Amino acid sequence: MSLVQTQNLTKIYGKGETAVTALNRINVQVAAAEFVAIMGPSGCGKSTLLYLIGGLDRPTDGRVIIDGQALEGLADQGLTELRRRKIGFVFQFFNLIPVLTAVENAALPLTLDGVPIKEARIRATEWLQRVGLGDRLRSRPDQLSGGQQQRVAIARALVAEPALVLADEPTGNLDTRASDEVAGLLRQVANTWGRAVVMVTHDPRIAAYADRIIFLKDGTMVDESRLTPATAETTAMWPGR
Amino acid sequence: MSVRYAILGLLAQKPRHGYELRSAFHAVVGGEETWNVKPAQVYATLSRLAEAGWVAEEGVEQGSGPEKRIYDITPQGRQALEQWFYSGVAPEHQRDEFFVKLMIALVTGDVQPRRVIQTQRVFLYRELHAVTVLRQSYNLRTQLAQVLMIDKAIMHLEADLRWLDMVEGRLEEIQRQPLPEPDIRPRGRPRKVEV
Repeated sequence: MSLVQTQNLTKIYGKGETAVTALNRINVQVAAAEFVAIMGPSGCGKSTLLYLIGGLDRPTDGRVIIDGQALEGLADQGLTELRRRKIGFVFQFFNLIPVLTAVENAALPLTLDGVPIKEARIRATEWLQRVGLGDRLRSRPDQLSGGQQQRVAIARALVAEPALVLADEPTGNLDTRASDEVAGLLRQVANTWGRAVVMVTHDPRIAAYADRIIFLKDGTMVDESRLTPATAETTAMWPGR
Repeated sequence: MSVRYAILGLLAQKPRHGYELRSAFHAVVGGEETWNVKPAQVYATLSRLAEAGWVAEEGVEQGSGPEKRIYDITPQGRQALEQWFYSGVAPEHQRDEFFVKLMIALVTGDVQPRRVIQTQRVFLYRELHAVTVLRQSYNLRTQLAQVLMIDKAIMHLEADLRWLDMVEGRLEEIQRQPLPEPDIRPRGRPRKVEV
């Protein structure tokens, strides 16, 4: 069974003659531990799709099902709880709290959910170590590079052990090298740590880290393609491991 | 061409014999798998370089096996090498099969150009995914040659993908233009024009 499923997902902004269809009957599925990229020109609806999957916005029509649970049946409080426990979010501008240390930032979803502070800090520390920031636990965001801040954000997204991580242009504010590190880390989130990752990006280089790409245009899905396995030519052209 | 100068450069580093040159070349480019040079090519290149006066036989190494001739670079060789270093290299100009495919698709008019473009896009993304995964498997400290080569491949694929986006974005504009037709010239002697 798919972890994420959308059925005829539609979002229309405005009414009457000024109505704009941002998403038009989108049907996508994401399996557990799968890394999926959503691509398309700006204004194609890719961020809207991500926000609807994450329950940050409500559809005009159609539905989103996360781990067997239809989001439409949930009141705001239930939706908030589902987001906190099943979904981790990573944003373009990191969205870390400036006055908190890396550990405090990464622990936030747990402390908000009522987990005792001591336990929350232990779990946050573990995730920060896994993303390679074991030596920056007490640093505040302004003492970290962009790539490091995004890694704190990824640790924060994973700290509640969600099954799904949603990333909106996670490398949009990073240089090439940090972008590669963050994309490689997201790949690890899926491949090593078994979380499904859905990432919106406009950057082909970053999208290529994913297992599958969903192409959107003008709110419609134009194609959906697996990137694995590689073609025979590529395998022949490049030396093996 | 580049193998010749690579050999010259490796001899500028220190005198070597043919077998050693071949191994040194492979080490520099990141392995035999990336760029294999056959022993015969190394020896043929060495004798051509010797004829040109760019390298000279320095001596013979006597070992347990057959004797090995050791080569060194000459002053003329060093000059030629320096000239090579400080001159530009024209990018490899490839006839692009996809470009031809797209133009023919537009000419025949019975296929969907957008589908042709999307098929190519997915193909390129699969290539890009494969090299990206491979790049991650490399050790940045010990496999720098491979990493640099693969980065070049990644950047070329990125450029091709960007170009596809641009072509797709301008497809309607292209389709509105008259398709290129050759100027057909009448064969044989031009007809006399009646005045």
